[in-house]
Amino acid sequence: MQAGMAFENAPPFIAPLRFFLTAPLFAALAGLLIAVDGGDLFASRWTPGALAATHLITVGFMLQTMLGALIQILPVLAGVDLVNPLRLAQVVHLGLSAGALLLVAGFLFGQPVLLGLAALVLCLSVVSFLAVVMRAMAGVPSTSPTIRGIKIALFGLAGVVGLGAALALALANGWAWPLPALADLHAGWGLGGWAGVLLAAMAYVVVPMFQLTPGYPVRPSWWFPVVMLAMLLAWSLAVLADWAWLVRLSQLVAAMAGIGFAGLTLRLQSKRRRARSDATYRFWQLGLGSTIFALFLLLTAALWPAAGDIEGWAPAIGVLLLAGGFLPFIAGMLYKILPFMAWLHLQNCGMARVAAPAMNKLLSEADSERQMRAYFLAFAVLLAAVIFPDWLARPAGLLFALANGWLYWNLFGAFRRYRLAEADIVQKLASK
Amino acid sequence: MWQTFHEIPDMTSIRSLMTDDHRHCDDLFAEAEMAIGKNNLEAARAAFDHFRTAMLAHFACEEKTLFPSFEAKTGMSMGPTQVMRMEHVQLRALFDDAARALGDGNTDDYLGIADTLLIMMQQHNMKEENILYPMCDQHLSGEPSLIEQLETELCEA
Repeated sequence: MQAGMAFENAPPFIAPLRFFLTAPLFAALAGLLIAVDGGDLFASRWTPGALAATHLITVGFMLQTMLGALIQILPVLAGVDLVNPLRLAQVVHLGLSAGALLLVAGFLFGQPVLLGLAALVLCLSVVSFLAVVMRAMAGVPSTSPTIRGIKIALFGLAGVVGLGAALALALANGWAWPLPALADLHAGWGLGGWAGVLLAAMAYVVVPMFQLTPGYPVRPSWWFPVVMLAMLLAWSLAVLADWAWLVRLSQLVAAMAGIGFAGLTLRLQSKRRRARSDATYRFWQLGLGSTIFALFLLLTAALWPAAGDIEGWAPAIGVLLLAGGFLPFIAGMLYKILPFMAWLHLQNCGMARVAAPAMNKLLSEADSERQMRAYFLAFAVLLAAVIFPDWLARPAGLLFALANGWLYWNLFGAFRRYRLAEADIVQKLASK
Repeated sequence: MWQTFHEIPDMTSIRSLMTDDHRHCDDLFAEAEMAIGKNNLEAARAAFDHFRTAMLAHFACEEKTLFPSFEAKTGMSMGPTQVMRMEHVQLRALFDDAARALGDGNTDDYLGIADTLLIMMQQHNMKEENILYPMCDQHLSGEPSLIEQLETELCEA
């Protein structure tokens, strides 16, 4: 049988779920950290608070959900057979959670030991993930932009984690490396080569599926991941050779590619055949708008480097890209994927003899929409806090913590209802 | 692998015929949802009825004509067609649930079931369009009368 035809390959629900239920807590922690640290956090990208909050979001929220989702979706999408997905999920989930906390503690308390330990734990977790996934994917031909995108993204993941670990060790041991240039490159690999490419690869599938939009056109979808990878390789070479012009050129092209992808997605969404605007759709609209804005700032700084030195420029890009872009994209997908997976598992559990409750009985639209509004507000205040950090950083942090805690509460509620429904189905089957 | 990424398929292929029918069904589904959005329950019932009739005709055409031809030619009777049949069962149950909710005038229930139905249907269609139909085209290319037969069956619905 050809790949991707069966759900039977899909791992147990708990494998991805453990990632999805932990991730929002890390984002909430980032909010609390901003609330405690106050305006100081926005003073520069390099404050311990800013580094810690950024990694709570990127490692704690994004990396968690992305690896969890891949463990779930790779068998279904690419037909790959992950050996023992439950064990893999356990190891990677534990490693990422512990590693994120160690890293954040290392930044906040300036402890070299913690930074070194974090680098080790995160590296080991990601390497064990990559070892299993790459071996499983080795024989899978790149027959679609999604599969090729995932492969390129995995390469990006190796890049961002390798650079990150090297940076942590350099910081811990006081090596005389050009840290700002390397940190920029690390962010480029993480947000462009890994997260950006993976997001695009997923968007090719889920945007038409959730919104009934036309499909992504062939050529741009094939080329986006390749262009991104090429630009990051060029950027890496530029840092090694100390060619400032090539750094700026590769940033410029990467930003333009990102804007192109986001703009194309906006255009496809405008042609959707669904009349309803649900939380997923609105989260994606926010994500696309905010990403385009962030990439324009990046592009401006690549053309005119002095702009990058304007106070608040870099923190604004961070807030727009992370809190305005990736977090909403992921939250929007979680609101569809988690209840659908729960429904599918219940459906299989009922063996066509006991009906499974529909998705909105597991996670109601009203609950998602209320949380979405809270999140939009938190994002707006957070963005304003970049300009008025002294006044707004603390309330923004609290709102951000609240909105992400709420996301956790909604997802956990769906899980709780799933468990109740499962018990109910088992009981009904037994009495039939 | 996904339909939209390939070159424009041959207009007389099984894949293009069946994929066009999927899109036609999508349109009917969207119409029902739009009618609900306008609080027009009668129109929503009519549109959903259309949608369900079209989907059931599509399933029937696959289960009675396309899948048996594929199975006879390839000898794969427990393969992809079997998985597709199982998903048809799940989808039929969702059609019934959705029709019942609409019949009772319970729009909230309907929208919830419709969301589940949409994702289930889309991922099902994607597997057919990108894996099964190309396999059918590959193995059944020597039988042009089959496409005519499929076309007739879909039109009769």
